[in-house]
Amino acid sequence: MSRTVLVSDIGKREGELLSPVALPDLVPLPPPYDRLDDQPRWKEISAAARENVVCNLDGFVATGLPRPKDAAEEQAWVDRFVDGLRKLLSKENNWTFLEPLLLSLEYCVKCQTCNEACPVYVGSGGQDIYRPTYRSEVWRRLVATYVKSGGKLLARFTEGPIDLNWTTLSRLYELCYRCTLCRRCAQACPIGVDNGLITHELRKVFSQELGWAPRELHEKGTVLQLAVGSSTGMAPQVVKDNIEFIDEDTSEETGLAIHSPWDKEGADVLLIHNAGEILAWPENPAAFAIILNAAGIEWTLASDEVGYDGVNYGLFYDDFQLARIALRHVQTARKLKVKKIVMGECGHQHKAMMTIADRILTGDMRVPRESCMPLLEQIVFSGKIQFDPAKNDFPVTLHDPCNITRNLGIVEPQRRILRYLCPQFREMTPHGVENYCCGGGSGFAVMSGNNFTDWRVSVGGRIKFKQILDAFADQPDPDVKKYLCAPCSNCKGQFRDMLQYYGALEKSGITYGGLVELIVNAMVDVKKPYIKWEMH
Amino acid sequence: MSGALFLTIAYVLLAVFVVGFVVRSVRLARLPVHLRWELAPIPHEKGKGQYGGSYLEELDWWTKPREKSLVAEVRYMLLEIVFLKAVWEHNRRLWWFSFPFHFGLYLLIGAALLLGVVALGGLAGVGAVDAPALRSLTTVGVWAGYALGAVGAVGLLAKRLSDPRLRDFTPPATLLNLALLLAVFATGLGVLAMADYGEAMRAALTSLATARPAAVPGIAVAHVGVTLLSLAYLPYTPMMHFVAKYFTYHDVRWNDEPMERGSRMEREVEQLLAQPVSWAAPHLRADGKKTWVDIATEEIRK
Repeated sequence: MSRTVLVSDIGKREGELLSPVALPDLVPLPPPYDRLDDQPRWKEISAAARENVVCNLDGFVATGLPRPKDAAEEQAWVDRFVDGLRKLLSKENNWTFLEPLLLSLEYCVKCQTCNEACPVYVGSGGQDIYRPTYRSEVWRRLVATYVKSGGKLLARFTEGPIDLNWTTLSRLYELCYRCTLCRRCAQACPIGVDNGLITHELRKVFSQELGWAPRELHEKGTVLQLAVGSSTGMAPQVVKDNIEFIDEDTSEETGLAIHSPWDKEGADVLLIHNAGEILAWPENPAAFAIILNAAGIEWTLASDEVGYDGVNYGLFYDDFQLARIALRHVQTARKLKVKKIVMGECGHQHKAMMTIADRILTGDMRVPRESCMPLLEQIVFSGKIQFDPAKNDFPVTLHDPCNITRNLGIVEPQRRILRYLCPQFREMTPHGVENYCCGGGSGFAVMSGNNFTDWRVSVGGRIKFKQILDAFADQPDPDVKKYLCAPCSNCKGQFRDMLQYYGALEKSGITYGGLVELIVNAMVDVKKPYIKWEMH
Repeated sequence: MSGALFLTIAYVLLAVFVVGFVVRSVRLARLPVHLRWELAPIPHEKGKGQYGGSYLEELDWWTKPREKSLVAEVRYMLLEIVFLKAVWEHNRRLWWFSFPFHFGLYLLIGAALLLGVVALGGLAGVGAVDAPALRSLTTVGVWAGYALGAVGAVGLLAKRLSDPRLRDFTPPATLLNLALLLAVFATGLGVLAMADYGEAMRAALTSLATARPAAVPGIAVAHVGVTLLSLAYLPYTPMMHFVAKYFTYHDVRWNDEPMERGSRMEREVEQLLAQPVSWAAPHLRADGKKTWVDIATEEIRK
C-alpha cells in the first residue's frame, strides 16, 4: 500500500525517493495478465547511475537530470527557477498562455474532482504524487511563497507550506514528466482549471529559463529536426531514398504501381507525415500513397528540411521551439504553393499545426491546414475506390489519440470509416473525447532512457491496456487476431512497447496499426492481405 | 454599536467588495489573447457538440460557414452552474454537500433580489410589490437557502477536515471561507428563528439604502454584518470562481476561433509578437531586446 505523501514533502527527505512505486500497488489487470509474477520486472537505477543522474521521485528516471557539482550550483538553479516563475506570469514573456495559466493559478478550489479522471493516478493505485493536482499545488505554493508579494506567512495561510530547495526543484522537474498532458483532468474540472496546462507551463520554465528538457525531446528532437530536417536524423535525400524504397517494396507486394510525388508545385495537398512512420511503420506512408493515388488526389510530399517531418516536440515543452518548427512547415507549403497542408496520422502534429500554432501564423503565413481524417472519409465514401469490408472481418477497436479527439474534436470521420469497412468494429469504454491516453503522450513514447519505458507501459499506459483487453474480452482466444487501430505515431510507439512488454500478441492475439492500413486492406484492388499479423 | 458606525462599516465593506470585484473582473477581461487551447466537448458546435465534434471534422473547413448553437451552450452552462454536473459525475461524495451549499446560495441571492424589489417598492410607494405571494416566496426561499447552505457548509468543512484526499489541499484560507459562509447561513437561520425575518431584513436593507440608522434586531445586525464581511472578502479568494468560470469556459475551453487575416486578433498578436523577451535558456539567445518573433524566426533567417 502506498504511503501518504503531502505536498510539502516534495522538498523533504533529501536523498530518498519521495514516493517509491511498487508493482503490487498498481490497479490489477484482467487475466491472463493478473499474475504479478508473470509481469516483467522493472529495471532499477543502480547506485552508480544515481551518482550521476538525479533519481529522487518514484524510482524511475525520465529526464536524466545531471547532479549539480555542489550546493552553490544547486542554489543557482533554484534562483534561476524563481526568475523563470516570474517570467511565466508576465505578459511579455508568456502572453501565449497567460490567461489560461492565471485562471488555473488563482481559481482552483482544490476539490480534487479531477483526480479520478487521470489514468496515471488511477492506474498507479492512487499514488498521491500522481494526482493531477499534486504538481499544480506545488507550483501554486511556490508562486505564493516566492513570487507574489505578501510574505511567507500569508502564502502559508492562502495556499499552504512549501520549501523551495534543490530537492523540490529536481523532483518537480521529474514530476512534470509523469503527466501525459492528456487533459482528461481539465474536462472533469467544474471550474475549468487545467492541470495539464500547468504541467505544460512548468516544462516551459524548465526549458526556456533553465535550459532543461529531456534529451529525446530537445537535443534529439527539436534541435536535431531544425538542424538536419527531422528528429529521426534523416536528411532530405535519405527521406527520398527511403520513400522510393518503400514505394518499390509496396508495388512489388501489392501489384499496384506506387509512386510518391515530391515537391510538386501547386498541388492540392501537401501531405506531411511524422517521419518516424517512414522508419518504424513504412506500411503507413505506403498506404497513404496507395489511397491518394487511387482516389486521383493531386498531392505531394516535400523534401525541404523539416517540411517532410510533421513532428513538433516543441508542443510538449517549449513555445519557441514549437514556433520555429511550425514556421518551417508553413514556409515549405508557401514555397510549393500548395492549396493546403494535410496532417498524416500523428496526433501531436495535428494539435501543433492546426490549433496551437494557429494564432502565431499571421499575414501570408496563413496556409490552410487540415487533418487527414476528413480527407480519408471523403475518399472512402466517394466511390472512387472499391472496397470489400469482408476482408477486414476481424475484431477491430479504435484508440482515440488525445490530440486529435479531445483537443481538436475530430471524432466521427475515422469512426464512419471503421463502421463501414470493419464488420467487427467495437468501441472502447470510454471513447471519443472521453478516451484514455495511451500513456505515451506528451513525448513519452520516444523517451526510453534509463528505466522510463517500464514506467510508461506499466503505470502510464496501464488503464489503456486494461481498456484494450476489455474491448476484446468477448474473444480472448489468441488465435483470433485482433487489430488495435491507433491513427497516431506516438500512440503506436507506446502500443508497440506496451504490447511487447505484456506479450499481448502471443497471449491475446492483439496487434496494432494505423487507419490507412485498414482502408488499404479492404481495397478490392489489393489482392494480398495488407495487414501483417505480427508485432512490428 | 451605534447605527451610524454600523452603516459606515457596512459601506466600507461594500466598497471593498465592489472595488475588488471590478478590479479582478476587469483584469481577467483585459488579459492578452492566448494561443488556442480548446478542449472538447465544445457545446456550441452545431450538430457536433453532443459527441464532442468540431468544425475541424469538415473537409476544407475554412471554406464553410461556421454554425454555432447558443442554446446548446446555455443548456450546458445551466446544467453545470445549477446542478454542478461535473462534480456529480466525477466526485459524487463531494456533490452531496457541494450542491446544497451552492444551491442554497442561489436561493438566497434570488431571495435577496426579491427583498430588494420589495424594499425599493416600499421606498417608491408602490405597494403592489409587497404582495403576500412575493413575501411567501421570499420566506420559503430564505428558509431553504439558509438550511441547504448550512448543511452544505458543515458537510464541506467536515469533508475538508476528515477526508485524507482533501485535507492536505485545504489551507487555512479555505477553512475560513467556509466558516464565514457558515456564519452567514447560521445567523440567517437565527434571524428566521428569533425575529420577524421580513421586517428585520427590510428594515436593515432600507437603512442601508437610505443611509438612515434604524431599529434592527441584534441577530439581524449580526447577519447583515457577517454577510457584508464575506462579500468584502470574496473577490480576494478563489470563491471568485463564479466570474472566472466565464473565462475558463468561453475564453479558453470553448474558444476555437481561428485566426483571420486582417482581424483585430491578428493585430493584437502582431503587437504581442513584437515584445522583447528575456528567457535565459541558451537555445533561445534572448537578450531582453530580441522580440518573440525575432527568436521564433531565427531558424528561417539562417
